[in-house]
Amino acid sequence: MIKKIIVILFMIMLCCGCNNQEERTLNVLNWSSYIPDEIIRDFERKTSIKVNYSTYSSNEELLAKISSVKEGTYDLIFPSDYMIEIMKSKGMIETIDKSRLSNLSNLNYNFLGLSYDSGNDYSIPFLATSVVISVNTDNIKEDIISYSDLLNSKYKNDIVLIDDQRIIIGMALLACGHDMNTTSEEELNDAYLWLKKLKPNIKAYDSDSPKNFLINNEANIAVLWNAEGAIASNTNKSIKNIFPSEGFALSIDNFAIPRGAKNKDELYEFMDYILDAQIMAQIIESYPYKTVNKKSEKYLSSEYMNNNASNISDAIISEGYFVKNIGDKIKLYDKLWAKIK
Amino acid sequence: MKNNKFLDNLIIILVFIFLFAPIVVLILFSFNTSKMNITFEGFTLEWYKKLFTNPTLLDALKNTLIVAFTSTIVSTIIGTISAYGIKKYDFKGKNIINALIYIPVVIPEIVLGISLLCIYTLAKLELGMLTLILSHICFSIPFVIISVRSVLDSLDDNLENAASDLGASPIKIFFKIILPSIMPGILSGAQLAFTLSLDDVVISYFAAGPGSNTLPLYIYSLIKTGITPDVNALISLILLVVFLILTISAFISVRKLRQEALS
Amino acid sequence: MKKNNYLRAIFVFPLIIYALFLIALPLLYIFIISFFKSDSYGGMIEELTLMNYIDLFDVVYVKIFLQSFLVAIITTIICVLIAYPFVLAVCHKSKKTQKIFMTIVMLPFLTNSLIRMYGWIVLLRKSGIINEVLLRLNIIESPLSLMYNFGAIIVGMVYTLLPFMLLPLYSSVSTINKSLLEASYDLGASKFKTFKNIILPQTIPGLFNGALMVFTPALGYFFIVDILGGGKIMILGNLIKNQFLTARNWPFGAAISMFLIFITFLLILVYKKLGGKMDDLGGA
Repeated sequence: MIKKIIVILFMIMLCCGCNNQEERTLNVLNWSSYIPDEIIRDFERKTSIKVNYSTYSSNEELLAKISSVKEGTYDLIFPSDYMIEIMKSKGMIETIDKSRLSNLSNLNYNFLGLSYDSGNDYSIPFLATSVVISVNTDNIKEDIISYSDLLNSKYKNDIVLIDDQRIIIGMALLACGHDMNTTSEEELNDAYLWLKKLKPNIKAYDSDSPKNFLINNEANIAVLWNAEGAIASNTNKSIKNIFPSEGFALSIDNFAIPRGAKNKDELYEFMDYILDAQIMAQIIESYPYKTVNKKSEKYLSSEYMNNNASNISDAIISEGYFVKNIGDKIKLYDKLWAKIK
Repeated sequence: MKNNKFLDNLIIILVFIFLFAPIVVLILFSFNTSKMNITFEGFTLEWYKKLFTNPTLLDALKNTLIVAFTSTIVSTIIGTISAYGIKKYDFKGKNIINALIYIPVVIPEIVLGISLLCIYTLAKLELGMLTLILSHICFSIPFVIISVRSVLDSLDDNLENAASDLGASPIKIFFKIILPSIMPGILSGAQLAFTLSLDDVVISYFAAGPGSNTLPLYIYSLIKTGITPDVNALISLILLVVFLILTISAFISVRKLRQEALS
Repeated sequence: MKKNNYLRAIFVFPLIIYALFLIALPLLYIFIISFFKSDSYGGMIEELTLMNYIDLFDVVYVKIFLQSFLVAIITTIICVLIAYPFVLAVCHKSKKTQKIFMTIVMLPFLTNSLIRMYGWIVLLRKSGIINEVLLRLNIIESPLSLMYNFGAIIVGMVYTLLPFMLLPLYSSVSTINKSLLEASYDLGASKFKTFKNIILPQTIPGLFNGALMVFTPALGYFFIVDILGGGKIMILGNLIKNQFLTARNWPFGAAISMFLIFITFLLILVYKKLGGKMDDLGGA
């Protein structure tokens, strides 16, 4: 009896699995919390393309996955600036046929032709992110304007950091007045000493959602991505976002096509759909990063446009630094990271 | 023998509280009207409704069940055959294989997950349902073998010898005599394989490809991006199903015991 | 005889295929790449080196090994301290009650382990239930920091791994001959003496079996450290994961994995020396 039920259940499920074979599909690998579910459902409805959407939480995770899976497993990925450079040099991504993208002209020219891919042959910017410091001003009375202010012993066990070694070590380097992408062991040691001083104040590292710590009153200060900070300050007006005076990490995430992508038509259709000004505005409203889509700005709410963390001004953007590829010196960073934890 | 009944009961109750506190909390908050899991504000069934309109979640649930059923069936069959094979036959490298099958039981999941990923890459297998199922079969088989073997060992050899003397073929002996008597071991092995498969995060993390997200992987990403009561609702439903299965299986075993007592 | 060979093939062949392709081959692969060099972009250079094993002894990594052993040892000890009294208490009950209690204990184990971690978040966080209750009862004045520390990691580990200790311990305690205990009491031995001289020696294999099944996973469960511990410390599991997924250094990750397997086999060897049977492993 039980066996029969199992067999029947199994058959039903196999049938469910078979149905999808004739469909047009698209395999997207994107950051977690970058495109809302509804946008993808909407695209599926409009085009009857089935989108298989998987997520990753760091550029290196993406690199590991793309270099270890069979070619053609994924059709569209979203590497950041320095990762575009790496993937380009390893021949892991294909050139993009820009003639197939009708919405390309929507983009903000400030974010095109940057050093990592000057002709935008391999990458089309999707959105820009920056690191900000979020502070709950109800509980933190002092003005925080720089990373060095975080060392104050009053903030014991009260700071949450992004769980990202390049960003956090980069922050320490900037605080010490060094280049964020240094490979000098001496300068890295300065960063280590700085982080050691910060350690008693660190409550947790969280790579995906540090904002919840602020919203739930679990911590009062967070170093996080600008969209997270913007959401936190929209939820609770006493949460303010600060761009530290020493500078901050800036990053541009891009559409890229992994070599051997199978569903070309579908991926261009998807890209063009996302580049549409209104769709982009919807995405940006859900995850308020800095939009690189000039035309989308007119569809964005005043809440987005007036928040300094979501709509970062050009003047502030010019104070940011890009994370750069440092080759196998990454091992120095990794060891330092293990040393801190 | 004097036992301190009060102390015994206290210990048992404390351990039960420790084990069930987080689960009771989860079930309670699945009926909460507030979106934040902080204070209980009012009763609602809205989250259960929301659950069934979430295609990502339903997809993950479907994948999880496909993987769990397929890997359980395959690993139970291979595990049972192998347990019998190891007991009955001698072959080259038996000792080595005997040691190898314990590796998935004792080595950390992450090592197994990564090494399997490497093999799939070498074999040019595309990550997806197939690799997920293969990985789950890989870590389930040893549990089935161990579970079946413990019953096999307590089996009376004379039964098999007698059947053989009476002219029954080995195949017939296996199906008519061995299989029915080791059924409890097979079932508990299968149950173990099934629950392990439903729960696995680490190995699945490395074996999953596009379109093969499983429920544990989905829950893992949810825990990180923010917790809403529809997750609680899902948890409660899963618990309900598990509880029903357990009650039914308890009921069946009680009936069986009664029948045995009668005959 | 021929027929027998054919049968033998049926019963043995699937096992050999499985053991070769899904166990031996992956292990061999990990073993081989642990001697490779890594290039700067996450690739591997096929030149043999012992560097990865020498790197293991770097102070930074030794610290992480010690940290993970500390987590694993404390988890194991606490599991023993919870499981022993519980199992002894349960074994004082009637056979039927024992069965019911052991089934109830296994219930949480049948649900998703991540789900259970999430339950602990709701209980432990600053605005969580434990703090809320303590505040309302005026036992504390301001919320306690219960999460994102060493204690929370241990709670998560113990909670997840307790069944692996309970099952083998229960099966070894329940087989102790009751009359032996009675005789001990009749002869005037104290409870402690009875425990030390009769119960403990007879349950050593079960105890070690449980300890092994708790200790080794505790070295690797990185998600518990990340979720409940706030990623503030690293255990071997995190370190291995980072080598593969962030530092782009697969050979080193493989070397740490081999080290972990080596430790596991060392523990099994001790287990066998203590008279344990391999088949009891796994709580099955």
